[in-house]
Amino acid sequence: MATPVYTKGVTTPELIRGLEYLTRPRFEGAVPSGSPLERTLDWLVNWSRAYSFWPLFFGLSCCFIEEITAWTPRFDISRFGAEVLRGSPRQADLLIVSGTVFKKIAPVVLRLYEQMPEPKWVISMGSCANCGGMYDCYSVVQGIDQILPVDLYIPGCPPRPEAVMQSIVLLQEKVRSERPTRKILHLAGGSQGTQTPILVDGLSKTRDSRGPGYYGTPPRGSEETPPMFWDARSDLMWTPPPHWIELSETDQSLAKILSEKFGGAVIQAAQTSDLLTFEVAPDRLKDVLRFLKTESEPKFLRLDDLTAVDESARREREKYPDYTLVYQLLSFDSASRVRLKVPLAGPEPVIPSITDLWPAADWYEREVYDMFGVLFAGHPRLWRLLMPHDWEGHPLRKSYPDRATDMPPYTHYDAQKHQPRDAGEYMTGRLAEDQYVLNIGPHHISTHGLIRFILALKGEEITALDTDIGYHHRAAEKIGERQSWHQYIPYTDRVDYLTGVANNLTYLLAVEQLAGIKVPDRAQFIRVLLTEFFRLSNHLVWFSTYTHDTGAMTPNFYCFAEREKIMDIVELITGGRLHPSWFRLGGVAMDLPPGWKELVDDFIKVFPGRIKEFEALITKNPIFEARTRDVGYLSKQDAMEWGVTGANLRASGLEWDLRKKMPYSGYEAFDFDIPYATAGDCYARYLVRVEEMRQSVRIIEQAANQMPPGRWLSDDYRYIIPPKEETLTDIETLIHHFINVTRGAKMPRGEAYMATEHPRGEQGVYAVSDGLHMAYRLRFRSPGFANVQTLPLMAVGHLISDLIAILGSIDFILPDIDR
Amino acid sequence: MQPVNPVTLSPWAPGLFSLALYTAIVVGLLALLLILTRWLGEQKPDLEKARPYECGVIPTGGAQFRYPVPFYLVAVFFLIFDVETALIFSWAVAIEDLSWLGWLQISFFIIILLVGLVYLWLKGGLDWRPQSIRKALPPRS
Repeated sequence: MATPVYTKGVTTPELIRGLEYLTRPRFEGAVPSGSPLERTLDWLVNWSRAYSFWPLFFGLSCCFIEEITAWTPRFDISRFGAEVLRGSPRQADLLIVSGTVFKKIAPVVLRLYEQMPEPKWVISMGSCANCGGMYDCYSVVQGIDQILPVDLYIPGCPPRPEAVMQSIVLLQEKVRSERPTRKILHLAGGSQGTQTPILVDGLSKTRDSRGPGYYGTPPRGSEETPPMFWDARSDLMWTPPPHWIELSETDQSLAKILSEKFGGAVIQAAQTSDLLTFEVAPDRLKDVLRFLKTESEPKFLRLDDLTAVDESARREREKYPDYTLVYQLLSFDSASRVRLKVPLAGPEPVIPSITDLWPAADWYEREVYDMFGVLFAGHPRLWRLLMPHDWEGHPLRKSYPDRATDMPPYTHYDAQKHQPRDAGEYMTGRLAEDQYVLNIGPHHISTHGLIRFILALKGEEITALDTDIGYHHRAAEKIGERQSWHQYIPYTDRVDYLTGVANNLTYLLAVEQLAGIKVPDRAQFIRVLLTEFFRLSNHLVWFSTYTHDTGAMTPNFYCFAEREKIMDIVELITGGRLHPSWFRLGGVAMDLPPGWKELVDDFIKVFPGRIKEFEALITKNPIFEARTRDVGYLSKQDAMEWGVTGANLRASGLEWDLRKKMPYSGYEAFDFDIPYATAGDCYARYLVRVEEMRQSVRIIEQAANQMPPGRWLSDDYRYIIPPKEETLTDIETLIHHFINVTRGAKMPRGEAYMATEHPRGEQGVYAVSDGLHMAYRLRFRSPGFANVQTLPLMAVGHLISDLIAILGSIDFILPDIDR
Repeated sequence: MQPVNPVTLSPWAPGLFSLALYTAIVVGLLALLLILTRWLGEQKPDLEKARPYECGVIPTGGAQFRYPVPFYLVAVFFLIFDVETALIFSWAVAIEDLSWLGWLQISFFIIILLVGLVYLWLKGGLDWRPQSIRKALPPRS
């Protein structure tokens, strides 16, 4: 039956038949009802609504990148009438919950939903929003449908942009089956908006990942549960000792000086896998740190990282204290690091704060307090950092449950009750009479994710600034303590969802350093090739969002079009887009596929011209210059001391790039420059990143042209997963494959820290092994954490609009800051 | 004072009739739109919907407080220049009737305005940047 064509001679019955056709129920089982007039009005209203959705500009995590990609040239969602994203819930009628719903953000999501006018629809995008997905952890709500009614679910992790378009089409179908007229005219009956109720765990939904019918099997397939892993069979296995390194002469002389100066208070670790390590008595800690920062040769100017380890679940419990604090310093002069380990005893140990020595210790100490319950005497404001302020317990303690499914379900009531801390509390004592407080975030277009800035304002001038992070805390570190060494690789991709395999690399380098796994040359080159592609992809997103924030819309479309070409190459090689999880211990997952070289060559030919085009749009644009020059100044000294890394550090005048200064993964074989600038403002940060794109293309070109032949995976089968084909030829390989895939490889007892020049700065992984098939403690040193902590230095005294430019210039991302 | 001629104010006078009709249509249409938008559609008022939107969190403090002077200054500048633009427009409409004398007068007026603008500019009245930044710009390479 074709749609009738209305002509002059149409008769009334024909007209009615035509209307009946147009207003027929679209969903199976729906029965047509109501008068022809009512159904005609229904049709008219539904038609207008279905083809003009107004989605809220709202994203939670990785999924949002794929969601927004659907708005860019290759996908172009405007064809479906859902083109314009609204910044405020007041103007929106469609909420696409894209990404992980954290317990800290859930009250905000609920409020945004409730502030949308009627009628409204909800699409839940991605496994995390649907059910928690791979994040069955203490900080994540196991499904948005527990707090909001949901119309449609898009499966995937993350779903592709095409899936977003399909969901819009499906929602249009759903809307066309509604009966809004009666609701609009205040008559009984009718339907519009979401009709499904909020789901309740145990009644209308289940959080049990086993699914129905599997209640006889142990939860999650294994009786071995953290923190103790009783009867773990990896206890019975043997491994060689960890990979020990020879200390450099500088390190040896420093060790000598320290032992002369502090005697028994500083004990050097006999052997180390990565860097010079000392055990320091708690009462001398500050003296040692002060000496290392101000007097020693070389001087350790940067507090690289500060974290803790809960030692209470150690296999050899008697050899360890209750907690160990780990201070890690970096020296720019000698390009070396030093690690100080401080043993602590008691359930809630106290240690002096070092915020007077390094202001950057502020957040690090708050995080350790939040996660471990270690107290820092003299800290100006020892509040929780990542978890909500009314949270109970310290999640990284071994006694704390790691899974959300081991805790009561998070409900609609919880989302109403646990509100974020009032902004006024942050500004207590910092407000003059004519000033006021404003929140920017956690939901704001220019925060590029879930982060909340609390501003004290005098007019438009920022007089004080505070930051509330943790809205994107995905428990990456805690999950590392339960996933086997191999199983954890997919989680690393998601630590920074714009840089994919670059995160794999940092994690794998640390584990390979610990176990002494040698990576073949071909694998090194493939790793470099892909990492640089992801650097480009990340910088393209940065370019488009930063310029968008400062008033230019066009680069968005150009950059995302180019980024799709990179995604094509990534997809050809790895099969994935955002999260390929494609590197493996000892190498990569497979060899490069046929046809990769042609695609890469095409890209190298075209892309430098594109960078020129981008620059022609922006670099000398007077509006852009006015927005960024002399805005957000950060001095070189501050940048070094606060642990600022990456392009932000280089824009402040220091020529420092780990790929050159502490080469890893074969970067010493490549010829490239370190771009840097001296102005230290937003414009300098722009220039440095654009130049970095050019250097990345150079590296990619060299890696592609000089790609060595040979194996793409180590043959150290004790630790790595052998290729499947080889398991079919001999029994030894088969056994290794079986053990390493099922239970997971056992790593020698020890620890290792490795850092890489990640697209966003220096990302480090500190892997502690207790000789089991998973990490005992896994720590991410995140670049964004340190970079964003310096924001008050850059933004106070500027205007709100400058803050937006500064945020864009730092290039941070929330899963990286909050982990 | 002249007595008012009842004929000129009659609603049936051709000039006034169209004005009255126009007014009635405008008022009627506005009333209809307001009533329809108020009445039509499903309404589910609740506390959260009534709350001001501030990035998803509960706002701190009220919206009524003492605004700083820069906002006031900008408002005043705008008002002055805006009213003066209205004067210039009305002169432009009647430019032929006012002849060269009118041109001279309005030129004098515009010059006075320009002097005012230059004065504002020099005094920093149009500089929206905060005091702290204006005083100490960071070194530029």
